[in-house]
Amino acid sequence: MPNEADGSGEDDGTRDALAARRGLDDPVYAPAEDSGLLAEAAAERARGVVLEVGTGSGWVAERTAEVEGVSRVLGSDVNPHACRRARERGVEAVRASLVDPFRDRAFDTVLFNPPYLPTDPDAEWGDWQEAALSGGESGRELIEPFLEDVGRVLAPSGTVLLLVSSLTGFGEVVEHAVDCGFRAETVVEESFPYETLSVLALSLDN
Amino acid sequence: MKESLLDIVCCPLDKHDLELSVDERDGEDDGEILSGTLTCTDCGEEYPIEDGIPNLLPPDMREA
Repeated sequence: MPNEADGSGEDDGTRDALAARRGLDDPVYAPAEDSGLLAEAAAERARGVVLEVGTGSGWVAERTAEVEGVSRVLGSDVNPHACRRARERGVEAVRASLVDPFRDRAFDTVLFNPPYLPTDPDAEWGDWQEAALSGGESGRELIEPFLEDVGRVLAPSGTVLLLVSSLTGFGEVVEHAVDCGFRAETVVEESFPYETLSVLALSLDN
Repeated sequence: MKESLLDIVCCPLDKHDLELSVDERDGEDDGEILSGTLTCTDCGEEYPIEDGIPNLLPPDMREA
């Protein structure tokens, strides 16, 4: 999640560094390189009815709605400020935790740019930006439950596009996805000074 | 929210259908629902729709 306004790569992921670069007074995650990469993957692979989990400002969802073959895009977020921001962009917003309130096989494509920064539990700061950034101690505290339930809401031959940072452990995420019955393939990848971002396309094996 | 969202969402607790009750609509009959309630047809839990956004968080996460 480096910010496009800062090419220096000095960020160490601490609250102060993030606050300085990203303006943490805003309760909604602003689009950054990770968002751009997910939108790029969606432009290639999204189709049909799409859900963006953790839509934040709705920027990726808004772009995905313009992709050929995409018929409808929903954006969900736990953060009420994010839901409002996404709705203002014209994205159908639902306040939700991961994929909890969605029906079985409802989506052809599910996008997720998860909170993935590994965070020291003693240093957590307890606001909406933390919810958007922190993936707990492992960095995978939301990715794992997401992978365990997303297969339920995916239509047969549907695709999950999941953004993964090397900070979170690429191998561990792929392994967990495979354990949940997915085939994993890298769609796009980009390296930055302190992390490599990839978007995985996950499809169900059956 | 659009009424057709009912084909996509369900109760986050038990995945049963939700029944819509509309308090305010944007314009005519087919307009977006601005406020109302979604009620689980099985467990009876109620989920509010406010400013056009359904809040489908489970009740224990609804604060904040």
